[in-house]
Amino acid sequence: MTDLLTPRSLITKIVLCLAALVIVMFVCSLVGTQKISLSAVFAGPGDKPGQNTDYDIFVRVRIPRIILAALVGAALAASGVALQAILRNPLAEPYILGISSGAALGVMTAALAGVSWSFLGGSPMAGMAFLFAIGTVWLVWFTGHLAGGSTVTSLLLAGVVINAFFSAVIMLMTSLIDSEQLRSTIMWLMGSIGEKDFPTLLASAIFIIAGIAGLFTISQKLNVLAFGAGEAQSLGVNPRKITLVAFALASFITAVAVGLSGLVGFVGLVVPHSVRLIFGPDHRQLLPTSALLGAAFVVICDTIARTIISPAQLPVGVITAIIGGPVFLVLLSRYSKKVGTLR
Amino acid sequence: MSICIQVENLGFSYGPQAQILKNLSFEISAGTFLSIAGPNGAGKTTLLNLLSGLLKPASGSIEIDSKPINSYSVRRLAKKIAVVRQEFVPVFEFSAAQVVSMARTPYLGALAFETDADRKAVAEALEMTDTTRFADRPLGHLSGGERQQIFIARALAQQTPMLLLDEPTSFLDMKHQVGIYDLLKKMQIEKQKTIVSVTHDINLAAQYSDMILLLSADGSYDFGTTQEILTTERIERVFGVQTLSAQIGQTKFFFPLGKFTKSQSSPPGF
Repeated sequence: MTDLLTPRSLITKIVLCLAALVIVMFVCSLVGTQKISLSAVFAGPGDKPGQNTDYDIFVRVRIPRIILAALVGAALAASGVALQAILRNPLAEPYILGISSGAALGVMTAALAGVSWSFLGGSPMAGMAFLFAIGTVWLVWFTGHLAGGSTVTSLLLAGVVINAFFSAVIMLMTSLIDSEQLRSTIMWLMGSIGEKDFPTLLASAIFIIAGIAGLFTISQKLNVLAFGAGEAQSLGVNPRKITLVAFALASFITAVAVGLSGLVGFVGLVVPHSVRLIFGPDHRQLLPTSALLGAAFVVICDTIARTIISPAQLPVGVITAIIGGPVFLVLLSRYSKKVGTLR
Repeated sequence: MSICIQVENLGFSYGPQAQILKNLSFEISAGTFLSIAGPNGAGKTTLLNLLSGLLKPASGSIEIDSKPINSYSVRRLAKKIAVVRQEFVPVFEFSAAQVVSMARTPYLGALAFETDADRKAVAEALEMTDTTRFADRPLGHLSGGERQQIFIARALAQQTPMLLLDEPTSFLDMKHQVGIYDLLKKMQIEKQKTIVSVTHDINLAAQYSDMILLLSADGSYDFGTTQEILTTERIERVFGVQTLSAQIGQTKFFFPLGKFTKSQSSPPGF
């Protein structure tokens, strides 16, 4: 009986993952189209604006972008962990419940309607994505409830159906959009980590960290919920309440991530699965370690995306999808029998 | 002994055309071993789910330790009643020890880490069920019998005065069936636990339980001691199967007679 989690072992694993994230962020901040010197960066900004370009690139361009990538990765990975637990399905991730198509519909609506207001200092596209993602979550929950309560199957089916419907609406809208808007919209739909200002990053970080902390407080109950609603209730956990809280928090942090970066897929699938292989399925450690390593994963993917065809850049969603697609297929073949027999 | 489960005029249906239980009333004292038996669809599992608070009665009432079951919070009820449902494999690869440790959920504090007392309860439950040797193995890597032992260990680690079990031996071989019923009887005798077990096996019920609730498909029921309730006539009425009975020691055993069994052509030796 050696594998029961202790606070000490949890802290050790969190510190290790945090150290890995800091190293990844530091190394990736030095990599880019423009080579920069670390000594020049540490020399400071200089007396005049633009005097030390290495410093400016490092501090004003790369660091905000890397922080943004880390926030998006942490949010999507943590959201994946929570959704997989409440749906008892290792294939579930933020996108399977229709959040992606909801956000995409928001972007297309903004592009077509010429909305000019912004959210968190971001573009109208990001703001609309956020609103539509939240709306989609509510719609999935409401439809799933109508279809048969908040059961695993009804929520998944509701997500699939709403995804299909929104995708059809998006295709209709794409045929109406002008070519200038089309390219930026498509890039956004494929997931792109751009530069954001520090107030935007700070506000996003507060939202995402608070959401992950909220999920952590129910992480032991997620362990129990992974055995089903009846089992959870017999063990003193109100399954409906925990499902609702987990679903709301996971959707919230996903929506913040989507609002920041567009549709970065597969992070919520690849990262929790990999972390489960390393540390095991206990959600008390799976959640924080997945968030930290998810952050590192998206930072690495974004670094590849902005350097692999330099000076041009790929959307980071392309890189995560290239990695995530095969992982999804492996998981599908491994878990389909188990998931199919779940009560 | 005080009354620990009291059911009065209980009714439940899954819809207007699917009345499962009608005006069911019975009570058992603390420390009783009750078996619930009956044909498929008679409402055995439904009754277990009502007794565990998972379903709400359509009519009538259930009292646990003289308080209505709906007056208990989910957490408080989990400190009174542990439930073992038919075994299944969870999709995530929790180890056997992790599964047993989940029994401590109702007792965990805000940080949700097991204390030394929780670890002791888990170790004892593993010891009692003779499962310590595979405690570190993933649940999915164990046999059906071993998994069921782990779920029983989890129920024991929950340290509740009552255990509800839904066909705990349905997929197990003879050795594991007897092993699990021996363990339950031991819990009843040594720990004074109240055991309520749904079973299809009349002979296991006859051997191990003090009381039996025989549910019929038409909603009627028989409740009493195993000696008074289990008769060949009543079994034929409830299950629609003729049986032969034989008294061995203090237990009466029942042998079903099919139309084409050897026993129909050559009389049994009892």
